[in-house]
Amino acid sequence: MNRLLGVTIALLCLSCCWLSAAEVDFLRDVKPILAQRCFRCHSSLEEEAGLRLDSVAAILKGGENGPAVLAGKSGESKLILAVLRQGDLQMPPEGAPLTAAQIDVLRAWIDAGAKPPAEGAETKVSHWSFTKPIRPAVSQPADPAWSQNPIDAFIAAKHAELKLTPVGEAPPNLLLRRLYIDLIGLPPTEAELADFEKSFAPSPSLPLSPSFQERESGGVGEREKGLEKVVDALLASPHHGERWGRHWMDVWRYSDWDGYGNEIRESKPHIWRWRDWIIESLNGDKPYDRMVQEMLAADELAPGDPDALRATGFLVRNWYKFNRNKWLDDTIEHTGKAFLGVTFNCCRCHDHMYDPLAQHEYYELRAVFEPYDIRTDRVPGEPSTDKDGLVRVYDAKADAQTFLFIRGNEKEPLKEEPLAPAVPKLFTSVPFAVVPVSLPQVSAYPGLQAFMQEEALAAAKREVEKAKTSLGEAEKKWTEVVAAQATSTSPLSPRGRGIGGEGAAAPTIAESGIPQPPAPPSELIDADSQLALSRATLAAAQANLTFAEARIAADKANYAAPPAANARELALAAGTAERQANLQTALKGLVQAEINLTAAERAKKQDDMKTVKAVTDAQTALVAALKARETAVLNLDKPGDYTRLSPIFPATSTGRRLALARWIASPDNPLAARVAINHMWLRHFGTPLVPTVFDFGINGKPPTNQALLDWLACELMENGWRMKPIHKLIVTSKTYRLASSGGVQGSKFKVQGSEASTLNFELGTLNLKTDPENLYYWRANPRRMEAEIVRDATLFVAGSLDVARGGPDLDQASGLTSNRRSVYFRASKEKKMQFLAMFDSPNPVECYRRSESIAPQQALAMANSTLTLAQARLLAKKLSDSLVNVTSEQASSQFVESAFVRILCRKPTADELATCASFLTEQTAKLADPKSLTLFASGPAASVPPSTDPQQRARENLVHVLLNHNDFVTVR
Amino acid sequence: MNTHISPSPRLPVSASCLPRRAFLSDVGMGFAGLAVGAMLARNGVVRANEDPAPQNAFLTAGTKPKAKSVIWIFLVGGMSHMESFDPKPELNVHAGKTIAESPYRATLDSPYLKKNLREFVAGLHKVHPKIYPLQTGYKQHGQSGLAISDWWPNVARHADDLAIVRSMWTTDNDHGAQLQFHTGRHAIEGPFPTIGSWVHWGLGSLNDNLPSYCVLGTPLADCCGGAQGHGANYLGPEHAGIQLSSDPAAPLPFAQPDKSVFREEQAREFELLGKLNQLAGVEYPDDPALRARIRSYELAFAMQRAVPEAVDLATETAATQQLYGLGQGGTADFGRQMLIARRLVERGVRFVQVFHGSSGGAGAWDAHSNLQAGHSALCRQVDLPIAGLIEDLKRRGLLDETMVVIGTEFGRTPGAQGANGRDHHPYGFSVALAGGGIQGGIAHGATDELGFHAVESRHYVTDLHATVLHQLGLDHKAMEIPGRKRLELDFGNPIREIIG
Repeated sequence: MNRLLGVTIALLCLSCCWLSAAEVDFLRDVKPILAQRCFRCHSSLEEEAGLRLDSVAAILKGGENGPAVLAGKSGESKLILAVLRQGDLQMPPEGAPLTAAQIDVLRAWIDAGAKPPAEGAETKVSHWSFTKPIRPAVSQPADPAWSQNPIDAFIAAKHAELKLTPVGEAPPNLLLRRLYIDLIGLPPTEAELADFEKSFAPSPSLPLSPSFQERESGGVGEREKGLEKVVDALLASPHHGERWGRHWMDVWRYSDWDGYGNEIRESKPHIWRWRDWIIESLNGDKPYDRMVQEMLAADELAPGDPDALRATGFLVRNWYKFNRNKWLDDTIEHTGKAFLGVTFNCCRCHDHMYDPLAQHEYYELRAVFEPYDIRTDRVPGEPSTDKDGLVRVYDAKADAQTFLFIRGNEKEPLKEEPLAPAVPKLFTSVPFAVVPVSLPQVSAYPGLQAFMQEEALAAAKREVEKAKTSLGEAEKKWTEVVAAQATSTSPLSPRGRGIGGEGAAAPTIAESGIPQPPAPPSELIDADSQLALSRATLAAAQANLTFAEARIAADKANYAAPPAANARELALAAGTAERQANLQTALKGLVQAEINLTAAERAKKQDDMKTVKAVTDAQTALVAALKARETAVLNLDKPGDYTRLSPIFPATSTGRRLALARWIASPDNPLAARVAINHMWLRHFGTPLVPTVFDFGINGKPPTNQALLDWLACELMENGWRMKPIHKLIVTSKTYRLASSGGVQGSKFKVQGSEASTLNFELGTLNLKTDPENLYYWRANPRRMEAEIVRDATLFVAGSLDVARGGPDLDQASGLTSNRRSVYFRASKEKKMQFLAMFDSPNPVECYRRSESIAPQQALAMANSTLTLAQARLLAKKLSDSLVNVTSEQASSQFVESAFVRILCRKPTADELATCASFLTEQTAKLADPKSLTLFASGPAASVPPSTDPQQRARENLVHVLLNHNDFVTVR
Repeated sequence: MNTHISPSPRLPVSASCLPRRAFLSDVGMGFAGLAVGAMLARNGVVRANEDPAPQNAFLTAGTKPKAKSVIWIFLVGGMSHMESFDPKPELNVHAGKTIAESPYRATLDSPYLKKNLREFVAGLHKVHPKIYPLQTGYKQHGQSGLAISDWWPNVARHADDLAIVRSMWTTDNDHGAQLQFHTGRHAIEGPFPTIGSWVHWGLGSLNDNLPSYCVLGTPLADCCGGAQGHGANYLGPEHAGIQLSSDPAAPLPFAQPDKSVFREEQAREFELLGKLNQLAGVEYPDDPALRARIRSYELAFAMQRAVPEAVDLATETAATQQLYGLGQGGTADFGRQMLIARRLVERGVRFVQVFHGSSGGAGAWDAHSNLQAGHSALCRQVDLPIAGLIEDLKRRGLLDETMVVIGTEFGRTPGAQGANGRDHHPYGFSVALAGGGIQGGIAHGATDELGFHAVESRHYVTDLHATVLHQLGLDHKAMEIPGRKRLELDFGNPIREIIG
């Protein structure tokens, strides 16, 4: 129930004349009504009839028809007449009229003098989420079992208030499955289930949780210990990061690169490093505030730490080829929504309709991001940043200016008033201090990194070795050819045409003056050319190595603090070596060009235009090579500095983003921790405490249990922003452990499928009446597995899941054939795995909350995909293989039982067992007579063929059915 | 706070994705809980057996819908309005002159030139100054005397059923306009729900054995919207168009199991699954999602048969096939899609989106050069099949309740591009409509004498959306979900002048 409704109910309860000015506040009570129903035509967006209703001054001023409101006189105010629909003006023109309660609020405000908000109140509106959470006292619930965990105490308080009766605890098997899927995204194995059921069996005579006294006296029940052990193990599992990483990837809009063909249009290649950073950070329980700070400003916070730099993928993801404004708009919008639950995007074109945010504040926030750009740094072992690299942000243009766009129109920047970076005045108590950051040398000049120097040197050495080997081969070949020729022709000296290079001493054939034989055979020419080329190549490689060494020496001297005495000298020496290397490379190019021309001429056929063109092309290339040589020779006489090993970037960063990050992830910021807790809660329980997960503002919905939200937010902050303890607190709470079915405490739950259940729905019906949506958690919400979990769990139960972690994004098209976890597949607007898309995989544009649909396309994906069919066959074989020493009658029921336990984490009921057993019998008989059956001849090829044994094939069918069972995709 | 929250199918599940329509009917477990509606909404399902009409909050009060279904034909790449539905004889008069030399130089001073445009890459598509003559002739057709180009001889036979809107405009002068034509938003702002998804969201299905929003032909290429061109974006994936191939063997994703599976084997699996889910349901009588899932499997099984049946044209008579041009090489492909479109609406599909000319890039209609050869050939591919569709719908009495829309992302420049082409033109272009309560034999709105700017009764693309929604009985302004404020421009206004 939102605040407005609260007020109107309060108003309805009192008589109308009872209203006093103090009770109706323009910002809190009046403006939301006007915003909802009137602003579309009467605000900064549109001023129909010249009237705006978005400020008290504008209302009193009115429009073409005069003032909208006469202070103190609601009966004569046009606004009231219009909404009462009594005069000529009938407002709003569309939709339902205002409710009587809403009109009463407007009247009360007018009659009390139509008071504007107090000075400065526009920015200090009192709204629950705009003030810091204060840790509320934990009350003592009547039932001591609900006092063990503060979460339970807050939940129990609501139960008491609303007269809700919580249902009993979920059976151990369902609870364990819930825990596993929630915390690591995979179901438990049979062994894990058996262990847990042993240690956590409910004791029918005792309350489901150890009593308060029991715990106080130090006698913590074995059950609790068993549960804690499991939870600790799951939180310590590397799968935990994969599971919760995917959740945060939704919130932080993870997207692999998107584009058309190979053209990158949005996000960037190699951004998977950010995904790995998320997963690793969660596994390492990196504090949430630190995570936020690294994502927004790791380049300023930890500029020398490549692991931390990966975090800036959060900003890299917004890269957009076509429009820098859209790029920055997305950055601002989603920084606000993800970390603060504030819709900054609403004030791009005008002041915020609901929250105290002015349009210029949007652009001041933009100024924080204005300097940032993206670059891809090299990573060890891969010289090409196209193939791999560390994609990250940095401040490229510290002096880039920011202007307000009039009505959000990028064509109308307000050039007269450049804006300085600032944060909204929403909560002024949080400091925002921009301090420029001087960056370590390697940030400004990545080429100084040892690995880059070493790799450059090693590569140069490798080239020399390679060239030496080729030269040896070329010499050998030359000798052989000459020897073969010697019998028929006069001896030749090797040509070695390298001009100015090592081979210069050897005269060319033409220069040698030796009378030439009619025409040297082509093998000899080729051998001679190759020899020349090899020599030139070696000369170039050696010169390049010399340069590589000289550059490192020069770098060391020049970037030492302070620079070495001979820095200048070494720089010049490196420059000379570089030009020498350039010359040798040009000479090598020239030899190559000559060889190419000879080859082209030899291949030329007058009637083949391609070959004719090849000759002219080769001639052009030769001219270019000659020119390159000339340039390189001329450059020898121009002493100067050397080219650096990598691009050079600014040596300082503005510090703006770091200031923003610290402002956001600050214990003084009233929103950051609450928003984070709400996201965590949503994913543990299926519903959030604040339903509008990205809007905690005035237009958002209030929390269903603010005390609980605030307590958890304080707990998070005061506990060093570590999330694992919060997870543990939540999943060990009684609230979390509730059954998802509507029975009530005292009902006996069916645990093993053997005893009959007696469910008492009377109290459950009362609960349903009071709280049909379970907003107050009197039971657990049954949920459908998320898309990734459907796929991962299918692979996992069949024993096929490949648990390799991290690394480059996998081709989304390989989702049905690769067995890696789903989080590692490429996902962007246009690049999605089809199977996952069927199950509401996240929209990478924005997905602060997943939808949970049920559609026939999902049924088709589960029933027909080669993935499920193959996994069913593999699993059926495993289960059959494990049946040893059983009679054939036992085999059938044992198979059914083990399939149920493996896939659904529970044993079958007697009815289920009987149904499955008779299915197996009948299906076996049917399959034994394939002639009577018709194939789906036009489907895809099977990736794992069905068994040829009818009995085994029937079992495969059964396993396949269980993978399609509601209890498989449902987490209870 | 303990007020009763009434079950409402409009309850938001989440702001980013709000499933509304789904597939549950009571499967007889005897639980008609008070809160089923609310829980259904939370689980993203709504009962299918509730009659949507009386309670549907989006239906325009007090009016009976004129149309039940829409066939939305989209010519990918940008069809020339001047060589189809908007004759401009002045182009022939002043051919070869520049616009500045012609009497219509004021065209270049129009404020629309700047105001209309939002470019992806600035300056890529400039005004082409040299006036290029019409590449085909025009005749008047039918009793209405509607002028239609000679490249559309068969559609022209139905002139008296057609309403042509000659004053469309859009803001993107590159092919992102394809996405924009379906979402109403410039592609730069990203994907939004498409018109088909709004229809799906607002009305749901008339036949639960078939997807309610079907897509035929090759969808938009990645350059120009890709699958977002028939997506639902924040409305949730269940409202997105489902691409059907015209191949009855594999008409939709995961349509069939692998080819080693027997039909009877699978049928018995579905049967066992139904039984087991029912048995499990005894444990969870208050879980509507379970019942929705049972129903979803029943539907999936039905769709496995119904969808191949719907796209299988073997049962159509030779005469009908002939009507759509199935016998001829040039028209067979598109004719097949038109005929499938008819079969789909006949079976209750709400929105059939048919793409023509998608080629993995900008689209076949993108006539930067050789406009005459290209457009005349493309018109031959679609003219007869579209005419066949209108004729067939009429014969079957379906045209009154089926709205046929022929659209394209923008028009083409009055000036020549290169020797014989026309460039992209967002300032003015045409669409044509027939059936579904649309008035026939009229041309509405106008471009200036050169066909440059839409000058009379200008309509942005969302006006077309609003017209479709209006004819389906939906209140277009009510098409909004909490947390997803739409701009005024997003709603558009129905084009009242063409509504019969």
